Amino acid sequence: MAEHHDQHSITYKTYLMTWFWLLVLTALALGVGYTSIDERLKAFLLVCTTLAKILVIAAIFMHLRYERINLILITFAPLVLAVILFSFTFPETLGSVTHLIRVR
Amino acid sequence: MDSTIAEQQRILASDWGGGKSPFGTSWSKFMMWIFIISDALTFAAFLIAYGFMRRISPEWPKQTEVFNMVLITFMTFMLISSSAVMAMAVAAARASNPKLAVRFLVLTIVGGLIFLGCQAFEWTNLIEEGARLTHNPWGVPQFAAAFFVITGFHGFHVFSGVTILAIVALRAAMGKYSADGVENAGLYWHFVDVVWVFVFAFFYLL
Repeated sequence: MAEHHDQHSITYKTYLMTWFWLLVLTALALGVGYTSIDERLKAFLLVCTTLAKILVIAAIFMHLRYERINLILITFAPLVLAVILFSFTFPETLGSVTHLIRVR
Repeated sequence: MDSTIAEQQRILASDWGGGKSPFGTSWSKFMMWIFIISDALTFAAFLIAYGFMRRISPEWPKQTEVFNMVLITFMTFMLISSSAVMAMAVAAARASNPKLAVRFLVLTIVGGLIFLGCQAFEWTNLIEEGARLTHNPWGVPQFAAAFFVITGFHGFHVFSGVTILAIVALRAAMGKYSADGVENAGLYWHFVDVVWVFVFAFFYLL
């Protein structure tokens, strides 16, 4: 449809295929969620499926793969900052249990 | 004097000289990206706080016993589908086909409204079962607090997205239509989908 427009013409078929693969990845995440495996392995696998999904959405739906490299790089800033925030706060939960939340 | 003008022109022609966008986008699209980045940090803070609270809780309720997972999966399906349709609306707008773009936009809005309806249904059920911000029948108070704050904030984003898309669709139907406007609204809508991908994986599945 968009062939007369520009250099990067993503067709409707590409979007349909992307939609299909996103559903496959969602099903995969659901499968991981329902299997009874080690919590850490589960968390790792869920991080993998989630990253795969957001990369697909960003690259194709949000057209990020056709943008300049500097725009692509700044969109990774929140991810990097979130990892820093996470790795600075999370070790606090690993040591003593003095600040455990009580159940009423 | 001539050399100064040449110098100015040389500066303007360079990437960061002020003569053109260093990011190769329109200003509105770049601003939308900046907004998305800051909003992503808000949600990152929410989800990290949730992970922290969950770690220091003695136990966390099993999601499958509290939530209707069929409904949640259906909501995920609706949001992903509406995101795909939104991408097609942008393609139609870029191909200068406003009629098709409006049709796709309306479908996107319907998907968003179904998602919001499901969420209202889910919230009503949980509130009737006794879930509040401060306490809930399943365990630590932080469980329901995290649930209401995270899904509430996301739901508010979906609501804003539906409103923005309705305005864009109306304008497109009236002929006041720009492909850039549709694309920026689309970027926001995809971002809402991205946030839900995180919420679905880490709040409902983990």
